[in-house]
Amino acid sequence: MRPLLVLLALSFAGTAANVWLLSGVVPWFLLPDVSFLVIVYAGLFLSGPLGFVAALPPALFREVTILGPPGSFFLASLAVYFAASEIGRRLFLRSEIFILLIVAGLLAAESASVTLLLVLEGGQSVSALWGAEEAVRISWTALLGVFLFVDLSSRWQRIQE
Amino acid sequence: MVKAFFQKWWRLFLVAALLVAAIQFFVRPPGFSPDHGMGEIGTSVFRPVYKAVDFLRRGISSVWSGYIGLVNVSRDNAELRKDLAALQEKLKESRDAVLENQRLEELLRFSKTLEKRTIGARIVGHDVSPWFQGVFIDAGSGMGVEPGMAVLIPGGAVGRVHRTFSGLSEVILLTDSRFAADVIVERTRVRAIAEGMGGDLCRLKYVSPTQDVVPGDRVLFSGFDGSMPKGTLLGTVASVDRPREGLFLIIRVVSAVNLLSVEEVLVVLSRPAIPFRQGKP
Repeated sequence: MRPLLVLLALSFAGTAANVWLLSGVVPWFLLPDVSFLVIVYAGLFLSGPLGFVAALPPALFREVTILGPPGSFFLASLAVYFAASEIGRRLFLRSEIFILLIVAGLLAAESASVTLLLVLEGGQSVSALWGAEEAVRISWTALLGVFLFVDLSSRWQRIQE
Repeated sequence: MVKAFFQKWWRLFLVAALLVAAIQFFVRPPGFSPDHGMGEIGTSVFRPVYKAVDFLRRGISSVWSGYIGLVNVSRDNAELRKDLAALQEKLKESRDAVLENQRLEELLRFSKTLEKRTIGARIVGHDVSPWFQGVFIDAGSGMGVEPGMAVLIPGGAVGRVHRTFSGLSEVILLTDSRFAADVIVERTRVRAIAEGMGGDLCRLKYVSPTQDVVPGDRVLFSGFDGSMPKGTLLGTVASVDRPREGLFLIIRVVSAVNLLSVEEVLVVLSRPAIPFRQGKP
């Protein structure tokens, strides 16, 4: 129960701080997607229904705060959770570089998919500047993910011991 | 054999199914809003946060102006009479409120010239995702706001309401790639479709190379598609490129409104003439 509450608080506080407090002040590419990190953490580190339940609120927060077509980001966030869960079961080694690669890979995959869809729809114009800013966002969020995941998992381990 | 395969890889199948559903919702949003109930819950969870942040921002602003005022009062106290100093202090403290009142008065005057029912709203948050450009305003379905309604300020258009909840609405800005509207070049009356292209830019589509459009021309909403009041300013033409091959001019328009600095907006409470489909204008 405790991991669930901590993850819920983290995703709520992170999303609230980004969207309501820091947006308009701090550039978008310096605001890490905390809800995304919580979803990936739930997939990698929490097994069974607990992980799924932990991933639901951040998926909802992303759906509410990203102005995409209704329902799309909720479903995409759940897909990220199951992908992370599969990676956690088959490939994951608990090292910093693996966490960095997984988070950055999932963020890049999501970003590329959404951008591709928007480009195919004829809307999004991708510039070099936008690409560089997006790369900063992915790197920064992945880096934060390493610290967050290592800290949270070591805390749970200590509590369990 | 097949069962064992599915039992082993069911997560990947689920990922694929969820992605297909997400892409389907993305490309072809359903007529109904699948997440409306969830959205209501989500926004009500965040309501105390954005109300508190808005309150804090205003509080900090008034404390700051009050502090400056007090410093000035301490300097002036030696020379000026007590009552005059108190009046000056009050005047300085209320400077922020005066500026806000000026902006609101301007909005009110503008809403009268629009001859349409409007409602004022405050911007309480921004979309921070890299793909969409939008803001959250503190007027929702309870105040009569509906998807597709125009959002503007006296200086020009801001965007269009995307989704509404009680007490909160999402607005896609006119520089969002999903924003499109019928516009007209003020000087030559050339018609075009304006589409958002990120940053503070829009592009004008379907303008023939024979048409007369030059940088500096003002672009207004035509009002023909009912999405914006006729004559609302979109921006000014920044560049016009004539491609060697291609049927149309490549025209970029800079938004008249600095969308990052807008604090209060007007929502035009008249239904768009063309039915608005949520998620994909």
